[in-house]
Amino acid sequence: MHKKTLATSLISAVIGCSISFFSSAELVLVVHPSNDATIDAKTAQRIFLGKENKFSTGKEALPINQVPESASRASFDTDTLGRSSTQVAAYWSKLVFTGKGIPPKEVANDAEVIAIVAGNQDAVGYVDSASVTGAVKAISLN
Amino acid sequence: MKKLIALSVITLASLSAQAEVRINGFANLIGGVITGDDASYVVNGGLGYDDKISFSDESLFAIQVSGDINDKMTATAQLVARGENDYKAEFEWAYITYKATDKVSISAGRFRLPLFKYSASKDVGYSYHWITAPGSVYDVAFNNLDGIRVDYSTYVGDWEYNLQGALGTYSSEIGTGNVTGDNVALFTAEAAYEWFKVRAVAGRGKNTFVSSDLDAALAGLTGSGVSQLVDLADDLSITNDTGVFLGFGIDIDTFDYFISAEITSVDIEQSFSSKDSAVYITAGARLGNFTPSITYEKLDGNKDIKFLDKVAALPAPYQPSVTPLVVGLQQFYMTEYDVVTLGIRYDMDTNVALKADIRKYSDDMSTESNATILRFAVNYVF
Repeated sequence: MHKKTLATSLISAVIGCSISFFSSAELVLVVHPSNDATIDAKTAQRIFLGKENKFSTGKEALPINQVPESASRASFDTDTLGRSSTQVAAYWSKLVFTGKGIPPKEVANDAEVIAIVAGNQDAVGYVDSASVTGAVKAISLN
Repeated sequence: MKKLIALSVITLASLSAQAEVRINGFANLIGGVITGDDASYVVNGGLGYDDKISFSDESLFAIQVSGDINDKMTATAQLVARGENDYKAEFEWAYITYKATDKVSISAGRFRLPLFKYSASKDVGYSYHWITAPGSVYDVAFNNLDGIRVDYSTYVGDWEYNLQGALGTYSSEIGTGNVTGDNVALFTAEAAYEWFKVRAVAGRGKNTFVSSDLDAALAGLTGSGVSQLVDLADDLSITNDTGVFLGFGIDIDTFDYFISAEITSVDIEQSFSSKDSAVYITAGARLGNFTPSITYEKLDGNKDIKFLDKVAALPAPYQPSVTPLVVGLQQFYMTEYDVVTLGIRYDMDTNVALKADIRKYSDDMSTESNATILRFAVNYVF
């Protein structure tokens, strides 16, 4: 094989990787369309770590997490919560067994998050931006 | 697929209903063995491993059940089966929490006393990097309290603050004796800023230690009918005597690495018991699924002999027999040792961790007790 061809294919492979990485990492928060609360990454972190249980509007916040196996979960834990999924699990084990908190319910994938958020005014979840539908309101995490 | 979503929506709806009962559990399976020729080794605090692999010294299995009584009240009970008690399950905690406001909650019943950073999750091996929390600091006789605790938490900007106050009584067995505490009051303050945390704790209580060994040792004094000797026995014994607990902790955790330390002291001044000063410092790194760490801990309960001035004030004929008793009794209960632990945690899954460590124990009271212990553990939570 020609050196140049090899270089080109390498570059495209690298670009391919970064594109797929980018799209899988572009998470957005989703809430019910009627939810007017101001939510940023910091608020999301507090809600998903059980440190805050209300939205800025004063209404109860019901965080919807995804199972550890889901693609969105790993990047949410790393990018928004700032720790690995196992560290998040250790954090919750401490709260659960001291009666100080209950971890968010987990669902299997983006579609289930959207289905719940569309039907519950208190729910907040995160999904890949490509999964967002008209039934929910998307909020940027950046 | 739609069915599945519908199902999970239903589940979620039912989970938020008031009648929800949550069952969680945790398990630590810990095996250990003394390496080399130090087969006679017995650590203060009950780490009684020997030269044969043992799984029952520190292993435990626990179930926690909690239910929401109403919007504001939750009942929680924890049933723990410890290997050292032949896995007989006991309710170690049972309490009701009332969430008065978003910031204030009040718990009443039997619960862990918030003495240390990891007090509340001391038994949940999964929650920390060690196989067990450093015993020189954490193995105190008054871990669980019957009483009431108020928790206050708030945040200002990126700073988080937690205050806890607890009042109550405790009772626990030490060796062949039993120690109880009345009018125990403890106050804890914690401040955290992202990767940085400090905590301070202060407490006091009226303690009583009942032990047939101690009674026998003091019988000569108490039965003498000589008021000075009876007074001396009262000084030596722990009978409704004030104990003071002080602690300070600091924690730096950037998630890639961490370093933390706690220092504590336990003092029952008017007793045979020497003031215990304990400290640990630990550091580690999180490298993917691996968390290697190193921990140094030291317990110093080997201070000056007390009450020698009172012995000196006794009439001369008593001194030859009383002096060795006063000195011997205090020396018998003195301890001083340090432990260096090299450990590694491997996160197998989000609810399973495997661990191994090697501990080098050095006893300053008797070097024959020095030993190196190898341990491995499986931690599981659900």
